[in-house]
Amino acid sequence: MGGHTHLQEGNPVQPAMDKSSKRRANISRYAVPAGIIVFCAWAYWLSTQFERVPPILKRGMQPEDFPQLVIGLIIMLSVYLIFRDDSKAPEPLTKMVQMTIGLLIGFLLIAEIDLFLGLGLFAVSLTALWGERRAWALILVGIIAPVAVFFMFDGIFEVRFPRGLLTNLWYE
Amino acid sequence: MDAALSGLMALADINLLFLIVAATLGGVLVGALPGLNATTGVALLLPFTITMEPIPAIAILTTIYCAATFAGAITAILINTPGTSASATTCLDGYPLAQRGEAGKALGMAAVSSTIGGIVSVVCLMAAAPLMARAAYNFAPPEYFALTVFGLSMLATIGDGSPIKNILSGAFGVLVATVGVDLLTSIERFTFGMNELSEGIPFVPVMIGVFGISELLIQADNLHVERKQVIMKAIKLPSRADYKKVWRTILRSSGIGTFIGILPAEGATVASMIGYNEAKRWSKTPEEFGKGSLEGIAGSEAANNSATGGAMVPTLALGIPGSPTAAVILAGLMVHGLRPGPTMFTEQADFAFAIFWSMMLVNVLFFFIGLFGAKLFARVTLIPIQILWPIVFIFSIVGAYALEQSMIDVLIAVGSGILGFFMRRYGFSVVPMAIGLILGGMLETRLGQSMVMLDEQWWLMFTRPLALFFFVLTALALFGPLVWGLMFKQRSPVESTGE
Repeated sequence: MGGHTHLQEGNPVQPAMDKSSKRRANISRYAVPAGIIVFCAWAYWLSTQFERVPPILKRGMQPEDFPQLVIGLIIMLSVYLIFRDDSKAPEPLTKMVQMTIGLLIGFLLIAEIDLFLGLGLFAVSLTALWGERRAWALILVGIIAPVAVFFMFDGIFEVRFPRGLLTNLWYE
Repeated sequence: MDAALSGLMALADINLLFLIVAATLGGVLVGALPGLNATTGVALLLPFTITMEPIPAIAILTTIYCAATFAGAITAILINTPGTSASATTCLDGYPLAQRGEAGKALGMAAVSSTIGGIVSVVCLMAAAPLMARAAYNFAPPEYFALTVFGLSMLATIGDGSPIKNILSGAFGVLVATVGVDLLTSIERFTFGMNELSEGIPFVPVMIGVFGISELLIQADNLHVERKQVIMKAIKLPSRADYKKVWRTILRSSGIGTFIGILPAEGATVASMIGYNEAKRWSKTPEEFGKGSLEGIAGSEAANNSATGGAMVPTLALGIPGSPTAAVILAGLMVHGLRPGPTMFTEQADFAFAIFWSMMLVNVLFFFIGLFGAKLFARVTLIPIQILWPIVFIFSIVGAYALEQSMIDVLIAVGSGILGFFMRRYGFSVVPMAIGLILGGMLETRLGQSMVMLDEQWWLMFTRPLALFFFVLTALALFGPLVWGLMFKQRSPVESTGE
């Protein structure tokens, strides 16, 4: 909101779409709704595998009825989107976002070893990735913040964190 | 009356008062911090309140809601960046005033309008919520089902995205709500044999993911944004002449905001836009709008703050969230085992009124905190996001874990965050998904009960006048804009040639 909006003035000839933006437009227009439909088909198939209750115990609906109703609605809306969606294709995913998602996945893997090791490493890597190089800032987000949060939740809220490489140092 | 007094007495607890003051400070901070808003703030704070008693827990959440909504104006005026989307229209006049060296006057007007708007809406909340609850007391399952469908249909108009995508997102949320053991038949659905999923997908980690972690990914693209603070002179409250000029605008916008807030799913953002437009339409000096009009600030700020009280009316009286933030508060009520709806005003009236009074108190508190701390809070906006967001992430993950103390919830939070980011990227708002997830269980239960009640003849729901009324409203909410659009398209050539 804070930025300025520049309106392009009367250029009647639209510049030809380059390959990349055309691909992105196609993903937005066709691949996303198609992906949703495939997901729904899978969910529908899963719903056909639910156990059924005998008619005498049935309370209004079988367990698959409501999910199937919702899946049907989602498929209908997705089909509509394929034909009528006129929203703009998003800008290409930047390297920064891709690497941030990579860090998130890395965090999930390291959190299996130790949640707070994962948090500290993620925080310090993210800060560095986003361009902050000052030592005090890296120490603040990578060490001080996770340790403070750990003791706050452990001491005040009595949350017991999963045992791991670092948390064992406190719990044992 | 007794309940109102006992609710007020509950606030006499010094610990609760301290928590409300702290939450007001926290809320103003949340509203001022880049990328954080009332909904994210409430979602992130929800796990911290789990171990508390219901009154302080929900009072903290509503306090954050009110204070953060107000605080958006501070950054809107001082750095031309609305702290929350509800303050976007405040930028239009607040920032030009600040550039002219009248930031204090602009902040003063924002604080006064927000406080009056907030108080008006809480008074309406106190009067309207019990009345609405009384009206809903005789609702049977078909009426509740129809009402919930209407609430979900209102999601179509959330944000500025495609209504179809909004409905799709809401339906996806409802589908996710079917994961777990079916309450009517006790049969497991979509659990893949995992015990952790038998109680369903938990609300809190999903909220943290879609509102908090997805925003972190959005911020990854905003690293280059520079924030420069305008120099603020001493706080100068608006003069008597200024009040004389704007009091009608404040009252009008307070009414508009409260009404918009009461509508299911419509929140402070829509209220502020309508409030601002109406202020301009009724103004004797509309040409000043966009150049530093005090009426513009008053119109926007009174409306967005009054929408907070309005949004709590259907949330507490019917269990249908009046805004995205109210949806998270609704999740908080459910987590605490409270059942929003007509019975809340008979069985838990003290609780309801304690919340009302706490909201009233917040509106007075943020006037002082926001006004005299504005300079400090504006500096907070200059905290580099490279430091802020990694710390927000740590709180998000620990908050997601803390509720059930399960690593599955951490996985759900991160997964929801990445999914939410891609949804937003392709124009699907995450708010309908979150509301769909919260209301999905209720929707299915009401439908199941209706089917039992009507002997599996679902079409009989349309023979019940009140249910039919809500279905008609649903049809209007879904197809009304389409019909208007067609009419507008047909009229526009005439208008363009005519003018």
